[in-house]
Amino acid sequence: MKIVACYKIVPDAQDIAVRFDGSLDLERSEWIIGEYDLVAIEAATRLAEVSAGSAVLLSAGGKELTDSKLIKSALSRGAQELYCVVDQAVANADAFQIASVLAQALKKLEYDLVICGEGSSDLYAQQVGPLLGSLAGVTTINAVSKIDIQGNAVIVERTLEREVEVLQLALPAVISVTTDINLPRIPQLKDILAAGKKPVTIWSVSDVGALPPSNVQTVSTRAPSSIERQQVIYEDASEENIKKLALDIKAAR
Amino acid sequence: MDFKKTEEQELLLESLRTAYQRANLEEYFKACDRDHVFPEKAVAAMVDAGIPSLGIPEEYGGTEVDLLTQVMVAEEAYALGWPSLCWVNYSTEVDDILTFGNKQQQESVLNYALRGIKPFTLGFTEPQAGSDSAAMATTATKRDGKVYINGNKTFNTSADRAPYLLCVARSGINENPYKDFSMYLFPMDRPGISIEKLDKIGNNMCGTFEVYLKDVECDPSDLVGEEGKGFYQLMKNFEIERTTICSANVGMARCAYDEAVRYAGQREQFGKPIGSFQLIQEKIVDMRIKIENMQNMLYRTAWKRDNGQSISIDSSLLKRYTGQAAFSVIDDALQIMGGIGYVNDCRISRLWRDQRVYRIMAGTEEIMVHTAGRALLKEAL
Ligand SMILES: Cc1cc2nc3c(=O)[nH]c(=O)nc-3n(C[C@H](O)[C@H](O)[C@H](O)COP(=O)(O)OP(=O)(O)OC[C@H]3O[C@@H](n4cnc5c(N)ncnc54)[C@H](O)[C@@H]3O)c2cc1C
Repeated sequence: MKIVACYKIVPDAQDIAVRFDGSLDLERSEWIIGEYDLVAIEAATRLAEVSAGSAVLLSAGGKELTDSKLIKSALSRGAQELYCVVDQAVANADAFQIASVLAQALKKLEYDLVICGEGSSDLYAQQVGPLLGSLAGVTTINAVSKIDIQGNAVIVERTLEREVEVLQLALPAVISVTTDINLPRIPQLKDILAAGKKPVTIWSVSDVGALPPSNVQTVSTRAPSSIERQQVIYEDASEENIKKLALDIKAAR
Repeated sequence: MDFKKTEEQELLLESLRTAYQRANLEEYFKACDRDHVFPEKAVAAMVDAGIPSLGIPEEYGGTEVDLLTQVMVAEEAYALGWPSLCWVNYSTEVDDILTFGNKQQQESVLNYALRGIKPFTLGFTEPQAGSDSAAMATTATKRDGKVYINGNKTFNTSADRAPYLLCVARSGINENPYKDFSMYLFPMDRPGISIEKLDKIGNNMCGTFEVYLKDVECDPSDLVGEEGKGFYQLMKNFEIERTTICSANVGMARCAYDEAVRYAGQREQFGKPIGSFQLIQEKIVDMRIKIENMQNMLYRTAWKRDNGQSISIDSSLLKRYTGQAAFSVIDDALQIMGGIGYVNDCRISRLWRDQRVYRIMAGTEEIMVHTAGRALLKEAL
C-alpha cells in the first residue's frame, strides 16, 4: 500500500513568549514538526511496514520547511521520501489554501491512503485533513483511533462519544488520526544518519498549480489573558459548597 | 573554528531528551537512590532509544560515532538528572576491548554493551595498590596449560552486575613490574570468586565491591592484549576513561546550575528574589564560567582523540579540572538552595554526594598533577 503522511512545521510552543499586550513573541521559538503530525507520520510508517508498502511525507509551507535539520528530523521517523511545496505565500496561508496546495501536490503522487494529524499544533483548526479529502474527491474520515489492514481492506475505528465506529475504507482515502493511535518512535542515530541520504523533492506552488485566494482575514493573534489566582478554599463537597463554587465561577467570567 | 553541534548531534540529543522525559524518571531516581537499587527501568528506556549502541561498530549491531558525540550525549543525560555511575553507553569498556581484545572477547563484551549492561568491572585497585598501580600483587600463574588467578581487588564498580572482570595481574615473567602485568577477562561466576559490598556515602544506585580471587581457573585465551603489556594497556584505558567519565562532571554541574539559577529567580527574601543579590549573582556567574570551561575542555579532548592526537596530558588536565570545578559548581548550587539543598528531596543533594568521588576514582586529582606535571615539563624542553 502506498501511504502519504502530511505534516506542518510550527514554532516550538515551549519557547513562545507572550508580550504584555498579549501578542506572541516567536523570536526564541525554533521550528519543529507539529506533535499531532508526528503521530500521523508514525501511523503511516507502521502501516507501510505491515503492508510491505511505502510511506512518503508531504508538506507545504514557507522556506523554513527546507531547513536541512527539519528535513532530517522528518525523514528519521521511517518514511522513505519527502515532497514539499515551498512558497512564502503558503507560510501565511489559511486552512483552505493549504489543503488546496496539498491536493494539487497529491495529484503528482501515487497513493492509496493519506494520513493527517487531527490538527496542527499551532492553530489546531482540524480543517486541513477533511478539506484535503474533499478537494481530492476521495473518502474522507476524521477522528481515526485505530487502523487495521485485513487482506486488501483497510479497517478503521473512530472512537465517538457513545460508540466505537468500525469502518472499511473505500480507497483511496484521506484520514485524520487522533493522538491515542500510537506513540511516535524516537529516532535513533542510525535513523538520523540514514535520513540525510533520503530523496527530497521541492516544488514551488506553480509547479503543482496555484494558490487560491484566501477567505479568511486574521485580525489579531493574542494569548488568552490570565487572571489572578483567587485562593478560595471550599472545605468539603457539600451541596452548599458546590453551589457556591458554581456561582463563583460564573461571577469570575 | 566551529562551535556549533552538527544537525545529527542536535537531533540525537533531542531523541535523548524525548526518551528521558517519556520515561518519567525523577521520582524513580529518588526512590532508587533512597533504596540503594540500580535504576533498571531507566536503563531499559535508554536501550529502547538505542543509546547504548553509540560507538559500537556496525558489524556488532551498533552505530559508529565519534567519541565527541558519545561524551555529548552522556553529558546531556547527566544534565537532565541521570544518576552518576549508571550511564548506559560503555564507551571505555568498548574502546578497551576493541583495542586489545580478541574476536571472541569483542563479541561478548560488545553484546552486553549493546544492551546497556556494564560488560566488566575493571580490577586494578587493590588494598595496597591505589594510586600506585605498580604495587598490584594479584598473580596469574600458569599451570598445566591453564592460568590461575589469586589476589584481592577492591573498589570494583558494579561487580554484582557486570558479567566479567577485567583483571590486571602479575605474570611473574619479569622483575620489572611495569613489564610484568597482564590483563585477563573472565566471567564473575567462575569458582573461586567472591564479592563483598562497600558502604559508601554516595552513588547509592551503583554498588562498589571488594573482589576476592582464589585459584580462579582461566584459559590462556582469556588473556586480553599481550602478556606483560598489562600496565601499558591500563594507561591507555585511563586516557579514555578519564575523558568519558568527565562528561558526568560537566553534566552534573549543569544539572545543579540549572536548578539553582531557576530557584534564585523565584525564591524571595527581604522582599526580592535572592537572585537580585550580587553575592548570589557572583556565584551564578562563576558557576557558569566553570561550566563553559569544563565543556570546552571536554569536547576538545574528545575531538583530539577522534583526530588521532595524543590525549595523555589532556585527559589528566581534564580530569583534575572538571573534578574540582564540578565540585565547586555543585557546592555553590547547594548553597544557593539554602536549607532545601541539604535535604534528600532536593536533587542537588544527590549530585553533591555523588560527584565527590570524581576527584578520587580513576586517578586522584593529585595523581593527575603527577602524570601531567612531568609530561608538561618534558614537553617544554
Ligand atoms: C566509588 C568508587 C569506584 C571505583 N571504581 C573502581 C573500579 O571499578 N576499579 C578499580 O580498579 N578501582 C576503582 N576505584 C578505586 C580508585 O581508582 C582509587 O580509589 C584511586 O585510584 C585512589 O586510590 P586509593 O583509594 O588507594 O588512594 P591512595 O592511593 O591511597 O591515595 C590516598 C591519598 O594520597 C594521595 N597520593 C597518593 N600518591 C600520591 C603521590 N605520589 N603524590 C601526591 N599525592 C599522592 C592521593 O591523591 C590521595 O589523596 C573506585 C573508587 C571509588 C571510590
